[in-house]
Amino acid sequence: MTTMIHVENVAKEFTLHNQGGVRLPVFDNVDFTVAAGEALVLAGASGAGKSSLLRILYGNYRPTSGRIVITHAGRPVDIVSAVPRTVLDIRRRTLGFVSQFLRVIPRVSALDIVRDPLLARGVSPEEASERAKAMLARLNLPQRLWELAPATFSGGEQQRVNIARSFVDPSPIMLIDEPTASLDAGNRDVVVGLIAEAREQGSAIVGIFHDEAVRESVATRYLDITEFRKAA
Amino acid sequence: MNMQVNPQELTLDPAPLLSVAGVSRFYGERIGCADVSFDLWPGEVLGIVGESGSGKSTLLRCLAGIDRPDAGQVLFRGGAEPLDIYSVAEQERRRLMRTAWGIVHQNPRDGLRMDVSAGGNVGERLMDNGARHYRKIREAALDWLQRVEIAAGRIDDRPRQFSGGMQQRLQIARVLVSEPRLVFMDEPTGGLDVSVQARLLDLLRVLVRDLGLAAIIVTHDLAVARLLTDRLMVMKDGHVVEQGLTDQVLDDPHHAYTQLLTSAVLTV
Ligand SMILES: Nc1ncnc2c1ncn2[C@@H]1O[C@H](COP(=O)(O)OP(=O)(O)OP(=O)(O)O)[C@@H](O)[C@H]1O
Ligand SMILES: Nc1ncnc2c1ncn2[C@@H]1O[C@H](COP(=O)(O)OP(=O)(O)OP(=O)(O)O)[C@@H](O)[C@H]1O
Ligand SMILES: [Mg+2]
Ligand SMILES: [Mg+2]
Repeated sequence: MTTMIHVENVAKEFTLHNQGGVRLPVFDNVDFTVAAGEALVLAGASGAGKSSLLRILYGNYRPTSGRIVITHAGRPVDIVSAVPRTVLDIRRRTLGFVSQFLRVIPRVSALDIVRDPLLARGVSPEEASERAKAMLARLNLPQRLWELAPATFSGGEQQRVNIARSFVDPSPIMLIDEPTASLDAGNRDVVVGLIAEAREQGSAIVGIFHDEAVRESVATRYLDITEFRKAA
Repeated sequence: MNMQVNPQELTLDPAPLLSVAGVSRFYGERIGCADVSFDLWPGEVLGIVGESGSGKSTLLRCLAGIDRPDAGQVLFRGGAEPLDIYSVAEQERRRLMRTAWGIVHQNPRDGLRMDVSAGGNVGERLMDNGARHYRKIREAALDWLQRVEIAAGRIDDRPRQFSGGMQQRLQIARVLVSEPRLVFMDEPTGGLDVSVQARLLDLLRVLVRDLGLAAIIVTHDLAVARLLTDRLMVMKDGHVVEQGLTDQVLDDPHHAYTQLLTSAVLTV
């Protein structure tokens, strides 16, 4: 199967310059690959570096060393050394990042937030609206909220808008950090279903899930990142 | 595994719109900005952040053709041939600034003609660029006033009758009506209260995206940078200390000064 992510020799260490220059090694020598249709679940205690690793895959954190080769439009690209606009192009077409937090943009409605990735990929406005509405309905977001900007929504409502945006057109690679953290059981099951569908359609998934039941139903493989802790 | 990796291959368009190399500006002994280099591609929005006095406005003025740097080069690729903006004749540079560039000043008074009507302020730019048909000019002005959310009924009012936020929106219409390729903005939301800022920011975000503009935006507000920019340059004492993707620089800052800057705000 097609390799979508190839992680080679990745290390991360934070240097806190304004706290006496203290160094915070997180992990070292991380190597793994993820293929299309796989769901790799990252395991490890709180603070082990799961979120940091996911952010590195997205090009958001910069690793101290190593390469992350992403298969983008059929071609391998090292996201660590790529120039900014290449990283943005990879994110637009290949990499999706799902977190539990929605970054609210002033005055933009929930529906427009969900439509946006479809429009960016060239889907017609009519089709984009239809698909966005279907996704919001599936996540049980009350219809009266669709035309409103989410700034005033509850945490769980914002979270569902964010999930709808991420899954309305799943990317070839989906990076997922605790998407179900404050959802009720019904909505949690919807999210699990969305992840499974994306994977069956060929997305490569890397995720972090605190909830054991969610983890079990999503994972095709586990990676305990504690094993990459730098030997002290 | 042997994989060929070449990010440059993916480049959608071969040449940057603006290439800046080694730009420095001194005020006597004092450094304004020193040895700044970067490339900007069409459609990219670059933010410049840093504390007061770090050289942001100095650099922007050098880039925008307003203030000649003491060293370095600013190349603009508007047509086939790159143009070194400080080696061409003054007249040519002015033409470029009028037709291909737009400058949004922090104080709308510096960018508007205060004694000319709102419609006139917008239409004037079109006439500068050769438009002659009165009705078409008025229609375009009206269209742009609506895009920046100024009611059509205010077209004959002078800017001094407008609030600060409206003046700033009018200035933006005046700049964007001539469809520049590259826009320079110095603290475009400075001096406005927070709710007015949010509206202006959303407007800028949509316009920049829809028009595919390249833009360079100076701001001291990291939330503004987060919302509007793709890339960020952090300045301190006239030098660029860190640059990269905006979210990289803000979420995983490497330089001591950037860490200080990002830790000083609650959420960005
Ligand atoms: N931007 C940052 N700057 C400095 N240190 C950071 C930064 N991000 C994360 N860290 C540190 O890196 C370590 C790993 O954090 P990370 O968030 O990756 O852990 P995690 O495994 O996701 O934990 P959790 O399960 O609690 O979410 C922690 O010690 C954290 O404080
Ligand atoms: N015309 C001038 N003559 C002398 N010194 C100047 C001049 N303009 C700027 N400077 C100095 O150059 C340095 C950089 O100033 P600049 O206006 O570029 O800073 P800035 O980053 O835009 O600050 P702010 O955020 O306060 O607008 C400062 O030390 C300033 O005092
Ligand atoms: Mg985490
Ligand atoms: Mg300034």
